[in-house]
Amino acid sequence: MMKEMDYIRPNSIEEAVQILSDPGRRGKLLAGGTDLLVQKRVDPPDYDCFVDISRLSEIQQIRVSDGVFYLGAGVTHAVIAQDPLILKYVSFLAQACLSVGSPQIRNTGTLGGNVANAAACADSLPALVCLDAVAHLRSKRGERQMLVTELVKGPHETALETDELITHFTFLQPPPGVKTHFIKIGRRNAQSISRLSIAAMGRKDKNGNVDFIRICPGAATPRTMRFTEVETYLMGKQACEELYVDAGQRMAARMVEITGVRWSTEYKEVALKAITERVLREVLG
Amino acid sequence: MEITFILNRQKVRVDVPADITLLSLLRDYLHMTGTKVGCEVGECGACSVLLDGKLVDSCLVLAPQVEGREVITIEGVCAEDGSPSDLQKNFISAGAVQCGYCIPGMVMAGEALLRKTLKPTRSEIREALTGNLCRCTGYQQIVDAIEMTAKQRSQTQSGRDKNV
Repeated sequence: MMKEMDYIRPNSIEEAVQILSDPGRRGKLLAGGTDLLVQKRVDPPDYDCFVDISRLSEIQQIRVSDGVFYLGAGVTHAVIAQDPLILKYVSFLAQACLSVGSPQIRNTGTLGGNVANAAACADSLPALVCLDAVAHLRSKRGERQMLVTELVKGPHETALETDELITHFTFLQPPPGVKTHFIKIGRRNAQSISRLSIAAMGRKDKNGNVDFIRICPGAATPRTMRFTEVETYLMGKQACEELYVDAGQRMAARMVEITGVRWSTEYKEVALKAITERVLREVLG
Repeated sequence: MEITFILNRQKVRVDVPADITLLSLLRDYLHMTGTKVGCEVGECGACSVLLDGKLVDSCLVLAPQVEGREVITIEGVCAEDGSPSDLQKNFISAGAVQCGYCIPGMVMAGEALLRKTLKPTRSEIREALTGNLCRCTGYQQIVDAIEMTAKQRSQTQSGRDKNV
């Protein structure tokens, strides 16, 4: 007979990592459950115990101090989408979280879960990567930090150890005047999985030249990363339509360089060009 | 494992396997079949319930997660005398019910919205229903029913405010 599944709800991060490191069981972190409970229907679980961290207040804070954002991994998409600090300084993260699933999914799904599940189409990734967000990981062995772009190595593949959990993310508050924007293309507006998305941060100086730019497409490359070559190209140039069109072509070319020509390339090239232009218009316009 | 929670304002204690969903707990163990089984992957919203006042898909909540919390299902939204609520009556009068399968979830989504605001725009109502699929009505009448209820409730409320 199959071993009965266990369920534990630790009262602290300390307790959670203790359970995860217990050699006598194979614990699986449960936060929002919106990915995990779907996977459980499809694949037989390789764990024998749910470790429910959905009520840990330690991982549910959002705050800014000394210009550093602190964002708990257990915060739900619904909370991020409405948080005044997020909306004020990094509104593209709110846009991204608002584009996730449905009200039901956003009420339970968490930011940490979105990153740890590491779907190629995870909606929060482009904005987090644009922000150079750092994931803070905890295990019984201690703490370590890793850039989100490095933590998520590819579709459903992360550098997380099985006894580790993401406690929070940190990133610098964008400099004054920097605008952020996120665009997602899905098959419909509601409940859609990203076909392609893009996040950008930008600012121009008083002469109209680009003096801050970061740009990161989502679901375009196996690892979500900033296209720094394009950023370097844009820096210092006069912000105008021709520049956005040019940047769109460069983004598409860079994507193909990384992925090679795939079945979806014909579509993605055109689409990435278009959303690059649109996102640049928003942050530099 | 033993789970104690508040279901439709009543304390409930059950002993169930730890790996079942809230949906299964409600239907298979408590025999409250108003909450419907649809896709079971969080796409259709037929199994929507309120968990501590928030709309969730009960197919994506693990049963033990409701320990000590409050769940309201379609069985808990009726009027005080057990008859249909104002929202449910409006679903009927707006012609918002055809096959009816999605309706418990639709009513819960509508209720969740009306608890937040009594002055929703039509696009806010549509937004609130994005997690609920209906393959019969084309949604118009469902939006109508929720809009109608919002108007009635806000009139009742402002009437009450004036009396105070």
